[in-house]
Amino acid sequence: MTTTGIDLQRSFETALRNLGLSPGAAHALWIPLPMLLMVIAATLGVMVMTWLERKISAAAQQRIGPNMAGPQGVLIPIADGIKLLTKEDVLPSLADPVLFTLGPILVFLPVFLCYLVVPFGQNLLISNIAIGVFFLIATSSVQPIGLLMSGYGSNNKYSLLGGLRAAAQSISYELPLALSVLAVVLMSNGLDTVGIVEQQSGLGILSWNVWRQPIGFVIFLIAALAETERIPFDLPEAEEELVAGYHTEYSGIKFALFYLGSYANLLLASLMAAVLYLGGWSFVVPVETIAAWLGIPLDNPFLQIGAAVLGILMTMVKAFIFVFLAILLRWTVPRVRIDQLLDLGWKFLLPVSFVNLLLTAALKLAFPAFFGG
Amino acid sequence: MTFLKRVGEYVSDAFKAAKYIGQGMGVVFDHMNRRPVTVQYPFEKLIPSERFRGRIHFEFDKCIACEICVRVCPIDLPVVDWVYNTELKKKELYSYSIDFGVCIFCANCVEFCPTNCLSVTEDYELATYDRHELNYHQVALGRLPSKVTEDPMVTPLREFAYLPKGVIDPHDLPAGSQRAGKRPEEILAEMKAAKEKEAKATAEQPA
Repeated sequence: MTTTGIDLQRSFETALRNLGLSPGAAHALWIPLPMLLMVIAATLGVMVMTWLERKISAAAQQRIGPNMAGPQGVLIPIADGIKLLTKEDVLPSLADPVLFTLGPILVFLPVFLCYLVVPFGQNLLISNIAIGVFFLIATSSVQPIGLLMSGYGSNNKYSLLGGLRAAAQSISYELPLALSVLAVVLMSNGLDTVGIVEQQSGLGILSWNVWRQPIGFVIFLIAALAETERIPFDLPEAEEELVAGYHTEYSGIKFALFYLGSYANLLLASLMAAVLYLGGWSFVVPVETIAAWLGIPLDNPFLQIGAAVLGILMTMVKAFIFVFLAILLRWTVPRVRIDQLLDLGWKFLLPVSFVNLLLTAALKLAFPAFFGG
Repeated sequence: MTFLKRVGEYVSDAFKAAKYIGQGMGVVFDHMNRRPVTVQYPFEKLIPSERFRGRIHFEFDKCIACEICVRVCPIDLPVVDWVYNTELKKKELYSYSIDFGVCIFCANCVEFCPTNCLSVTEDYELATYDRHELNYHQVALGRLPSKVTEDPMVTPLREFAYLPKGVIDPHDLPAGSQRAGKRPEEILAEMKAAKEKEAKATAEQPA
């Protein structure tokens, strides 16, 4: 990696400094921009996903799905949003007002915080912290506390059961998730997400982590599906048993927070799967190789813009493949029982992920060239 | 050795489970390429079958106010308002009403009406803003039903049993295609032919 690609931050700050601002002021003006962009992008992603979920579900059931609100029903998420924002915000009697309000916020915020470390390109992320992946796992562990809060604060037995289940499920599946991520970290010698992608981008599709971490990839997918509470593992909100689990009593904006949070979580999990195992923003053939074929120098501004756009597109395409898989899986497999869920988590995924970690470590010692020595 | 064998079985079980889930996903994926089977209601409507029991039609002039319909109704629903005319020595009907918010559409009244002044229609779109509007008086009951096939706004679709053999999609049927099996008039003609043949055979037989 010789080029640094586009560095929007530096160009923005130098532009402001040239206008006569102090470096501190320029930095302070820069800081909210990527955050705002990320929040908007994540929200837009969620809107696209809710529409996709409806359309793909409809197609899987041989229906048409939303088709009246705008062309192909694309305005349905906006209608959803308006509906949820204008609905009455109900506080059930004898509910704990503090926990009841804090719960959805604690579910919603960590997911959006996690988008801090999701890279879309060399410099196209909010902050490239050295403990990126660790930050992600640690932050997403806050979520079950919010779920437990909202379940406990609702003064409703279904909510309480849903909250407890959510906590049990999150704790059980966090371990295999973290262990499978750890194997990837072991190979890339670092916790930062950019480093993980760069380690995979040498040979295009051949150097992606899926080929070196097939077991870890499957474990990550299953665990991520359980973490996001999608259908084979949607016990916390199992509607046939628990009405709607921890968000039974919620309506209006607080319910919208849960809704947004759960879809943002799925998008985050898909993005992370793309970043950790499918080479993040890297194209099937490395952009550097294509540039060399075409005889374009790497510091060509058009090439850099093209590469950045391609990177964002690739990340999104890879992520949406997982979103599609999750929706497809939703209409394929029935919901597991709570004992089956914990069985799968503790008796299958955990030992297998340990074996995977040990195997990765052994292979790294044996073939340091292939497994990031 | 037994431990290794158990591990091997465990692994093969896991692979089998993964294989079955994969197969299931294949089936679901295949469904995404199929044409939707749903009827796009306000634009497409199913043609009700011949024996469909919809809104009840009432002919005021035929009614003799015998109140049989009330007696056979499971909930005595029809309201028959009449007065005995001493001059004519006849019951004179003032008004007749059925509340379709309460009616269960069993059509017992139609079945037992001695003068056939009641009949069932294929109307089923009875939605109103107020449930009291469902209480139809004799004028509302006397309105003729609209046919789905004659509505220019609606694409009429045949029900499943009325599709040709092997066809499950009511869209884009070739013109003149018939449902599976024989039509009642065909069966009738066949029966008639068979009877004639039999009669001929008995006549020709030497006694």
